[in-house]
Amino acid sequence: MIRRLVLDVLKPHNPSIVELSEALSHLEGIEGVNVIIYEIDQQVENVKIVIAGSSINFESIEKKLRELGATIHSVDEVAAGKRIVEEVKTPQDESARI
Amino acid sequence: MSPIARRYFVKNGFDGSMTMLGIIVGSWVVRLEEPEIIVTAGLGACLAMGMSGLFGAYMTERAERTRHLKSLEATMLTDLSGSIISDASEFVSIYAAFVDGTSPILTALISLIPFFLTLNGTFVIWDAYIASFILTLATLFCLGLYLGRIAKENMLLYGAMTLAVGVITVVIVLLLGAI
Repeated sequence: MIRRLVLDVLKPHNPSIVELSEALSHLEGIEGVNVIIYEIDQQVENVKIVIAGSSINFESIEKKLRELGATIHSVDEVAAGKRIVEEVKTPQDESARI
Repeated sequence: MSPIARRYFVKNGFDGSMTMLGIIVGSWVVRLEEPEIIVTAGLGACLAMGMSGLFGAYMTERAERTRHLKSLEATMLTDLSGSIISDASEFVSIYAAFVDGTSPILTALISLIPFFLTLNGTFVIWDAYIASFILTLATLFCLGLYLGRIAKENMLLYGAMTLAVGVITVVIVLLLGAI
């Protein structure tokens, strides 16, 4: 039972992120969608999509994105289960950076 | 109306009116008195312009859209067939073809109305020439007004320009007829 999903997606300029987020938000099991553009090229743009819901179906999201002409580059975060567990910082993370 | 459809509508609508203007003034120069000939020639021209617009615009738009889609696919390294982008490309081609095919038929039929009325005895042929001439120039003027509205500039100036093109054509046809 996926509760939160963070995706790195490549999409054409059209449909816009407004249309994309609306289309995703209408899928079953999805309660909220956030789409942020972080890179724009001449024909395409990279977006980060954060999806939250009670029961997210990854296949239906993948299918909808394909219909809209977008492709998933990577799945950057998944939170599943009865409770959303946030990322935890540990001392090892800090030492790894050094 | 989308920019593509607007362009096609005005461009081919203008073609339709100008073609009919040529047929009407040319027929008047040779003192043609049979409305059947003008109506038949006019409808033939309508059909030819309609078919030309329909297939010409469809093939041109489809080629351009396919090129754009392939370029997008190459950029995204993915197959976009079955996506709404691919469906939209096909729809725009058909929509542009419809507008391009119907606009010259519409404007040409406006010019032919007085000759249709002559066929059922409402008008005498010489009145039909004058009425058709006025209707055609009015259509050209209206297309100019519409262009002015699109450009958000002086509509009357645009109307006067398209009207001037019509008047110049009439003068040339009359001069050719006088030779």
